[in-house]
Amino acid sequence: MAYWATKIGYFSICLLVVTVYGLLLAATIARTMAKVQGRIGIPYWQPFLDIIKNLGKRTAISHGVMFFLGPVFRIAGGIGTLAFVPVLYGSEMFGNFTFAGDLLLAVYFVFFGQLGMALGAGESGHPYSAIGVARGLGQMTAFEVPFALAIISIVIQYDTLSIGQITAAQQGGFEHWTLFTNPLATVAAMIAFLGMTGYSPFDVVLAPNEIPIGPPTEFHSSYLALMATNQAIFAAAKLVLFMDLFFGGATNLIELVIKTWAIYMVAVVVGAAFPRFRVDQSIRFFLKVPTLIGIASVFFVQTLLVH
Amino acid sequence: MVAALLEPLNLIIAGLAAGFLLPLIGQWRRGAAKGLFVLTLAYMAGLALHGLLGAAGGAPALDIQTAGIAPPFAINLRFGLEEAFFVGAVNLAGLFGGWYLLARLGERAGSLALFVVLVMGIDGMIMTRDLFNLFIFIEITGIATYGLLALAGTGNSLVAGFKYVIATSIASTFFLLGTVFLYQLTGTLNIDGLVRHAGLIVGPVATVASAMLLTGVLIELKPYPANGWGLDVYETAPPGIAAMVSVGVSAGAFFALYKVLPLLGDLLPVVAGVGGATFLVSNLIGLRQSNARRLLGYSSIAQMALMSAALAILLQTGKTQAIPWILGGLFINHLLAKAGLFWLAGALGRDQTRDWSVLSGHPIHLIGFALLIVALVGLPPFPGFWAKWELIMQLSDSGLSLWVVLVLVGSLLEAVYLFRWLGHALGAPTSAPLTIESRTSTWAPIAAFCAVLAAGGYYMAEARGFDMVWSLAPLYAAVVLFAIDALPGRVKGLLLLAGLGAYGYLTIPGLQGLAWLFALMLVGGGALISIASLRRGGAQRGYYPLLAMLLLSLGELVRAQTSLQFFFAWELMTISSYFLIARGREAGPQLLAYLAFSLASAFLLLAGFGLAYADTGSTLLAALGRVDAHAPWVLGLLAAGFVIKVGGLGVHIWLPGAYAEAEDDFTAVLSAVVSKGAIFGLLLAALHLGLKSGAVHAVLYVLGWVGLLTALWGALMALFQEDVKRLLAYSSMGQVGYIVAAAAVMSQLGWVASIYLAVNHLLFKGLLFLAVAGVIHRTGTRLMYKMGGLITNMPLSFVSVLVGIIAISGVPPLSGFGGKWLLFNALMDKGWYLQAALAFFAGAVAFLYLFRLIHTVFLGQRKLEHKDLKEASWITFVPQFALIGCIMVLSVYPRLLTDLASNMVAGILPAGLKWSGTLAESHLGYWDPMMIMGIVAGVFMVPLAVLLFMSLFMHIQRVKQFNIVFAAERPDRPETTHYAYNFYAFYDRALGFLVRPRATAFWDGVSEWIQTFAGALRVFYTGNGQTYALFVMAYLAAIYFMAGEVS
Repeated sequence: MAYWATKIGYFSICLLVVTVYGLLLAATIARTMAKVQGRIGIPYWQPFLDIIKNLGKRTAISHGVMFFLGPVFRIAGGIGTLAFVPVLYGSEMFGNFTFAGDLLLAVYFVFFGQLGMALGAGESGHPYSAIGVARGLGQMTAFEVPFALAIISIVIQYDTLSIGQITAAQQGGFEHWTLFTNPLATVAAMIAFLGMTGYSPFDVVLAPNEIPIGPPTEFHSSYLALMATNQAIFAAAKLVLFMDLFFGGATNLIELVIKTWAIYMVAVVVGAAFPRFRVDQSIRFFLKVPTLIGIASVFFVQTLLVH
Repeated sequence: MVAALLEPLNLIIAGLAAGFLLPLIGQWRRGAAKGLFVLTLAYMAGLALHGLLGAAGGAPALDIQTAGIAPPFAINLRFGLEEAFFVGAVNLAGLFGGWYLLARLGERAGSLALFVVLVMGIDGMIMTRDLFNLFIFIEITGIATYGLLALAGTGNSLVAGFKYVIATSIASTFFLLGTVFLYQLTGTLNIDGLVRHAGLIVGPVATVASAMLLTGVLIELKPYPANGWGLDVYETAPPGIAAMVSVGVSAGAFFALYKVLPLLGDLLPVVAGVGGATFLVSNLIGLRQSNARRLLGYSSIAQMALMSAALAILLQTGKTQAIPWILGGLFINHLLAKAGLFWLAGALGRDQTRDWSVLSGHPIHLIGFALLIVALVGLPPFPGFWAKWELIMQLSDSGLSLWVVLVLVGSLLEAVYLFRWLGHALGAPTSAPLTIESRTSTWAPIAAFCAVLAAGGYYMAEARGFDMVWSLAPLYAAVVLFAIDALPGRVKGLLLLAGLGAYGYLTIPGLQGLAWLFALMLVGGGALISIASLRRGGAQRGYYPLLAMLLLSLGELVRAQTSLQFFFAWELMTISSYFLIARGREAGPQLLAYLAFSLASAFLLLAGFGLAYADTGSTLLAALGRVDAHAPWVLGLLAAGFVIKVGGLGVHIWLPGAYAEAEDDFTAVLSAVVSKGAIFGLLLAALHLGLKSGAVHAVLYVLGWVGLLTALWGALMALFQEDVKRLLAYSSMGQVGYIVAAAAVMSQLGWVASIYLAVNHLLFKGLLFLAVAGVIHRTGTRLMYKMGGLITNMPLSFVSVLVGIIAISGVPPLSGFGGKWLLFNALMDKGWYLQAALAFFAGAVAFLYLFRLIHTVFLGQRKLEHKDLKEASWITFVPQFALIGCIMVLSVYPRLLTDLASNMVAGILPAGLKWSGTLAESHLGYWDPMMIMGIVAGVFMVPLAVLLFMSLFMHIQRVKQFNIVFAAERPDRPETTHYAYNFYAFYDRALGFLVRPRATAFWDGVSEWIQTFAGALRVFYTGNGQTYALFVMAYLAAIYFMAGEVS
């Protein structure tokens, strides 16, 4: 019992840290982009204010039970993904519940959030929500292919599905990172990551700056607050996962911040430089060169690397 | 005195006497002539059957001498078991045929006489042991036939009769010439004498004589291509006469062949070749037929050819002990079914097979028709089934694989055109309704022959040592429920459930391992899902007997000890599912494809079992493990058969149509339960054969790819469907692909994964189909874009579908994730990495159609007319909630199932999966379902609590349907606001090229090519009598040359 209380306590701390970090990261990126565009940008605490503002709203509308539950599912997906990924290697406090499930669980938990989002968006009755979800799912099926191949490649390489063990194998110097020992898999995974983050050129799902479309179309007040929180958590969870799998993990928070920021910047830089794909273009894109890179990485690992 | 009356010779005497007396008495009084006619036939039939009973009881063969002198100076007849059987059958056909034709024949006493003489002639052909006497009887039979053929009086029939005269006269002339030459060589006309002096039958004269004799007999059996005259007769003669020609005259001719074959020992390959070619070609051409009687003619010719070929091969390979069973079974099946069908054709008076749709208003006749067709095709429990099984076993044992292929292909073709005909009858009427005359003389013979067929099948089952209680239980249940078919459907349904419960209670505890689990799944799961059928009101005639047959045959499938029992149950399952699907309103066009693929699957299984029998010498399923040299072939054939049954990629085209058009709650049974029968078979085959070395690895490798490609394509095709049942059908196809792939891995993890996925599939597919059935019933449509927003009206159905889609998609914490985890571990452990990626992709694509399903039906905008829709009937929720409960239990305690599965392969496959408490570990990863469930619950509850807490301080307003942020417009109609139609248009643009209907085009092409080829083969049927005469002559030349080649 005490064991569980401790675990939950540690996880709460981790969650808090990650949430704060995620929101700060979002603000940092926004400010960086603004600087690039010659603006000052939002204050660092803006995302926090937005959430508090939304939570504080006193009115809301509802389209039904599922609409109500949609954001709950979404944030449950985000928190859940974080729960099964070890944030800091070798740390008791930030190890989370990774002993409950391995990499497959973490990957499939991403779908949990997607599902909830889909349901909530659908209940709103807004066709644009549904279109956004359909596109998002469609794109997801496509970028999952190089991602799955990359994962298979590193599973062969490290002979384990346990995230903790994969991270452990990468310790002892940056030359042990998967980035250098299995570059093809990393490249394939990073391209998939671009799809996951929803930045350009794969941002047709939300189509920001243009029309209000995509899953969050109808959400507001507390719902939107939950979803915005989730955005931070989920993004951070994915970053941590990628860091653990491909970039050697992190043993302390500073390393965590630097690495995840760097990984995120890849997506941001690409997003700033490229225009948007149509959704059928993006689906085809992922199934061509990135998939080939993934297949190549599987063969590469099988032939060149020996257990 | 009595003994004298029971002498077999009286068959001839009575026939001749009646033949003379009938015209005389007919002059005096018509009625008396008819009476004498019936009396004579009854006497002859009774006499023959009495003799048969005696011979079957062990009485020795009677050698009947005439004129008081021994052969070869006088003619002698034999009445042994074979003769008794054939004579008994023919006379029975004669009796009922005569009764059937009584009105028609009775118009002129001469016709009555001709009919009796015909029967007598056939009896003589069968019984005589003298070659010249045989010729005489052939002539007598021929003359009688000519006379009867003219009975119709139409121009066509007279022309056909004349062609018949020409052809058979030439044939009997050859026969006579052959006899003459043989006499010249050996000095005797007695068949037994000729056999004794076979050493004298050598040299060029002997070759000519043999060729002539053989040609004479063969022509009577109407071989291709010299059989155009025969077909014209079948087409134009009155059906009752055609029946007698088809079953009676052919029987006599066949027995004549049987008798003279010992004289023509060298020519056995010729006979086999002729028989095989005729069988195949006739069935091919039968595909093009639209005239019912001509179609029956092709079938008759094909059956007799098969018998001839079988006889020749069995004699050649020395398997003479199997001859009575095989030929007897084939013959009696042919006789009873063909006669019945011809009589039915006569009763209906409809020439074109299309027009037989009039039968749909006459259930009794329809049932008779269906029974006769099922029997003719060789499906259980009728005699043809037993005979065909034994034939395939014997052919396989002799290593004659090409013959096995030929017989099965020919049988498949025959089944296709016969069931196409039946399909017409099952469909909606296309022509004017029909009142069938209900004269006793019309329907009683048909009913009698149906009964004899059933009795024959029963007897053969018993003679085979079949378990008459349990193995036939499906049929008993069907009969019992059919007898009470007038009762309300709900009563029958409850009785069925009680019966299934009793059956399960009595049989399941005695099983172990794989059989136990699948028995529970098939019988228990089937019963559970069938609870939903209680929603239906009315009598639901025919549904419950067939459903009983289906579910019990699945139970027997699992309990089978031998491949024969397995195959018997499998075919019963095929038949019952066919007729159950046929109950769907628009099921007509789908039926033939369903049957063709089902029977193809069954025949592949049969071929596999035959090969296994050849290798091991045993039909025990447990003996499959001893298959050695042919293991890859056996595994490949069995796997192919099972994969067809579950709709593997390339052979899946029947699946969406059949599933979609079947009745809604029956589709749940079809998808969830019936496909598991095939999975059981696959697992059984894999267990026994999968671990052998050599080419078996290649078979399993291919099977793995097939499974996963099916998974991907099933998912891809599902997401473009507008019809909800088609979507779920393709989904089934895809999900079962995973099961097949997992089974192909052949490791402990793979095995556990396969079983886990199979159980899961039953749970969630049953759940989804039942929920959707409820929605379809309320909304009245299957198109998803016509639904929408139903979550408010049908929340329970929504929950069912939600649980179902979470379970399929593999999202934790429900049971689907366990399946995915096991599958990926199995694939990656095996080193099938690309396959694992494919599985992942297919799983991701599955999300798309699952979302489409739930969104377009339950979310989005509700149609205005659905405002007051009620929730589905509570009865349908009983099984749904039970299934949800099972899914929940399995999600938290998957070990219940995985332990069971692991134990099945405990000593056979090395362990890959280990449990410590609630934690599962494999070589690569780990999984703790209980803890995951707990964490997810916690992770879900906390934000929910936060939101609920915040909502205490908020004023939340429930808004109306169209109150959405819609770019400053105000939507007013759900049709323009509900995103449902062409949901994945963008995906179609991206990847739609993958799912063009290539398999359908392929199979359409195959069908078309076969039909064109069949059409080309008809080039010999010019309709010209002179041409036919020429062909008969040319046939002699051909036989002569072939004889020269062989000897």
